[in-house]
Amino acid sequence: MSQRRLCIALALFGSVAMAQTVPPGYPADYAQTVAAANKEGKVVIYSALDTKAAQPLIKDFTALYPGIKVEYSDLNSTELYNRFIAEAASGQGSADVMWSSAMDLQVKLVDEGHALAYLSPEATKLPPWAVYKSQAYGTTYEPAVFIYNKRLLTADEIPQDHAAFAKLINTKADKFKGKVTTYDIEKSGVGFMFVVQDTKYFSDIKELEKGFGASSYRVYGSTGNMLEKVSSGEHLLGYNILGSYALVRAKKDPALGVVLPKDYTLVLSRVMFIGKQAKNPNAAKLWVDYILSQRGQKLIGSDVELFAIRTDVDAEYTAASLTKQLGPNNVKPIPVSAEIVTYLDQKKRLDFLNAWKAAVAAGASGK
Amino acid sequence: MRAATLSAVPRGLTILLTAAAVLAPLLLILYQSLLTAPFFDARKTVGFGAYEFIFADPDFWHASLNSVVIATAMVIIAVPLGGILAFVMERTDLPGKRWIEPLILVPSFVSPMVLAFGFVVAAGPVGFYTVWATEWLGGAPWGIYSLTAIGIIAGLLHVPNVYVYASAALKSLGSDVEEAARVAGASPFRVATTVSLPLIMPAMLFAAVLVFFLGFELFGLPLVLGDPEGHLVLSTYLYKLTNKLGTPSYHLMAAVAICIVAVTFPLVLLQRYLLQNARKYATIKGKAGRMRELPLGKWKWVAAGLIGLWLFVGVIVPLSGIALRAFVTNWGYGAKLAEVLTLEHFQSVLDEPILVRAIWNTILIGTVGGAIAVACYTAIGFATHRRTDGWSRFVDYLVLVPRAIPGLLAGLAFLWVFLFFPPLQPLRTTLFSMWLAYTVVWLAYGMRLISSSLMQVSTELEEAARTVGASRGQISRQITLPLIRPGLMASWLLVFMIFEREYSTGVYLLAPGTEVIGAQLVSLWQGGAIDVVAALSLVNVVLVGVGLALALRFGVKLRD
Repeated sequence: MSQRRLCIALALFGSVAMAQTVPPGYPADYAQTVAAANKEGKVVIYSALDTKAAQPLIKDFTALYPGIKVEYSDLNSTELYNRFIAEAASGQGSADVMWSSAMDLQVKLVDEGHALAYLSPEATKLPPWAVYKSQAYGTTYEPAVFIYNKRLLTADEIPQDHAAFAKLINTKADKFKGKVTTYDIEKSGVGFMFVVQDTKYFSDIKELEKGFGASSYRVYGSTGNMLEKVSSGEHLLGYNILGSYALVRAKKDPALGVVLPKDYTLVLSRVMFIGKQAKNPNAAKLWVDYILSQRGQKLIGSDVELFAIRTDVDAEYTAASLTKQLGPNNVKPIPVSAEIVTYLDQKKRLDFLNAWKAAVAAGASGK
Repeated sequence: MRAATLSAVPRGLTILLTAAAVLAPLLLILYQSLLTAPFFDARKTVGFGAYEFIFADPDFWHASLNSVVIATAMVIIAVPLGGILAFVMERTDLPGKRWIEPLILVPSFVSPMVLAFGFVVAAGPVGFYTVWATEWLGGAPWGIYSLTAIGIIAGLLHVPNVYVYASAALKSLGSDVEEAARVAGASPFRVATTVSLPLIMPAMLFAAVLVFFLGFELFGLPLVLGDPEGHLVLSTYLYKLTNKLGTPSYHLMAAVAICIVAVTFPLVLLQRYLLQNARKYATIKGKAGRMRELPLGKWKWVAAGLIGLWLFVGVIVPLSGIALRAFVTNWGYGAKLAEVLTLEHFQSVLDEPILVRAIWNTILIGTVGGAIAVACYTAIGFATHRRTDGWSRFVDYLVLVPRAIPGLLAGLAFLWVFLFFPPLQPLRTTLFSMWLAYTVVWLAYGMRLISSSLMQVSTELEEAARTVGASRGQISRQITLPLIRPGLMASWLLVFMIFEREYSTGVYLLAPGTEVIGAQLVSLWQGGAIDVVAALSLVNVVLVGVGLALALRFGVKLRD
């Protein structure tokens, strides 16, 4: 009995000791960060990725640093932002790490001084557009895709690029009446961001808006809702759906098909930063470094089923595999940059929304 | 003298705490509505910008109109049906009444979120029933996403709210007048419409105001059913504002909330006025003698059939939809039931510590939280019991205030209170924050339960105690409290069910440690984890079911 305990104790000690060795390529004083993080004993993460999906990362991180408990809470991206600013303003401290798909809101928080400056030793391994002011990092590489119902769409109908999508819903407006879905850009920040990007890359976006109107498209705030409704056949086609979620469901769901648009595929990158008021800044650093490390990225590209942003990892879902499939010029990542907060300006956003609504309404009335 | 001063301390404290808990969130919302940014933002300025914005937004007017339309539809549907249902249940020889009675109340105890979701998977464009109807009949002649459909569904689901008031009024009314009409040859339907229902008009009027008011507050149903065609009502418009500008627009949300309160608070006051009037009426009605059941004759099966149809549409369709969806991997056209059956979703719920905690928390907030809430309501009840001073009247109105605030916003206001009121800060991420919000939001309901128990205690007993020199406190503890114990137990059970059902209040209070099923459902629905939503909904229905079964077992009257 006591011998067994000793073994366990030794094993625990061993793993702690192992964790405290500095990973290759990291600065020598990283050992101090690890020691301080162990003293903090936990890291509080607010994330828009649901707990279930993040579980493999949490488990693996805890295996790597057994002394650090991960307190992970998932909220939708707007709630995440709301809670963070309210908590920050109340001075009680908020999350140690913020991790969200609402790239624009994350950049806004960084711009407003809510992030801790921390240059991750892994930063050099990321594409330059994914590192923002040495404070925030793009961590994933998630494509925006089309989805369709496999049982109810014929093979020749499946749109392979944006022009084909627009043409399909314009020419077969009767079959697709009330059967096309996309994000409600008034409710979903991610959906809004995608459409703004579309205006950059898709010259015929007017056709698309017209088609949405002509087919009386249905809009939702959440990805899961659209996946469910396309899978069940209530809707037939989905536009600009977050691909990481769609592909996971398509794997298990015989009714759901996914298309990566051939002309260009938008890519979203979940942005992560450490809170300025973080109570456990060192543990937070370890988490950020872990997520950006090869080990973390490999999990993101496999068990977590998002897409790894690093090109030097070998997994099912990676930026590299996506680029290879689509060709390097057809993948259009949304950069983590100051530019993406443009439409957080109230006036600009409302103008954009109104223009969009007007274009769709014009399509609906057949003009 | 000294004893009197001492006994005033707990009363004063009770009133003070109640006032703080009720008014702090309301004032915070009012203040927020007059700012241009979140109240904790340094860049805020005072002004009417928020109101100008929403009044200039066409969506606001659409939503308002929709709210009025839906609320009106609910009144038109629920009031006559609820009245006739009460008449049939109270007055006639309908077969199987004992079984029907608890079923009638089911829609008012199941979360509207769950019911709405049930309607989507059962009767939506590719719901289970729709697919079956298409396979067998070649088409399904219904749709559930239109404004009309939402109004009808909401109307059907609020029949119980009318039923409880109508049947309570009928109970207190002698049946001799009805028998006279029957003898004179009137059909049962004629008796109902020309004799019984006109006699209980005050109660019906009260119920109509109540239903209209509930229609204004409707959230879960339009959130789920109004989504596909984009029908907004005021509460979902408010929810949508969370994101419309990209960043939180608390000032706009608060302004909408104030607009809602501006409609609902007068309605609450009107209700109160009508209730008092109804009580006055009660005494001049016929003698409450022995009730004789009117024979329905050939109408018996028509009535039973109609009630059966209503129960089928309002209870069986959505709940069976939820139950089925919880056990299948995917659904819709082309999905074979036998191939898609699974227990995986429940496994996912159990695998996720947050959801397991949500289930425990929900049980905890219903049982322990419910008990403490009842204790609080009782304390407030005693603070006003048999007193007619200004403070009592103040409390009377005070407890009505939270009723007028939509749960969604009340929850947000409580989040602010817990964030920015230092003594409460450490409690924010505990279940206490959720409990306090629930207790305050349901204050009016709870107080009605308690005061109806208190009213049953006759004054003689208390007066007897007073003559032998007992203080107010002693009377309360030793006479009144033991006497209302059965009533308190019943209240506890009802509060348990209400707390299990609640969903909108918790939406903004959701944090690690405060997870409850109701709010988690809204969040998961938004996130789109539909499998988990179905499984968790079923767990929620089972919890409510347990409460309902216990209530029936112990003979609790399911209405106040």
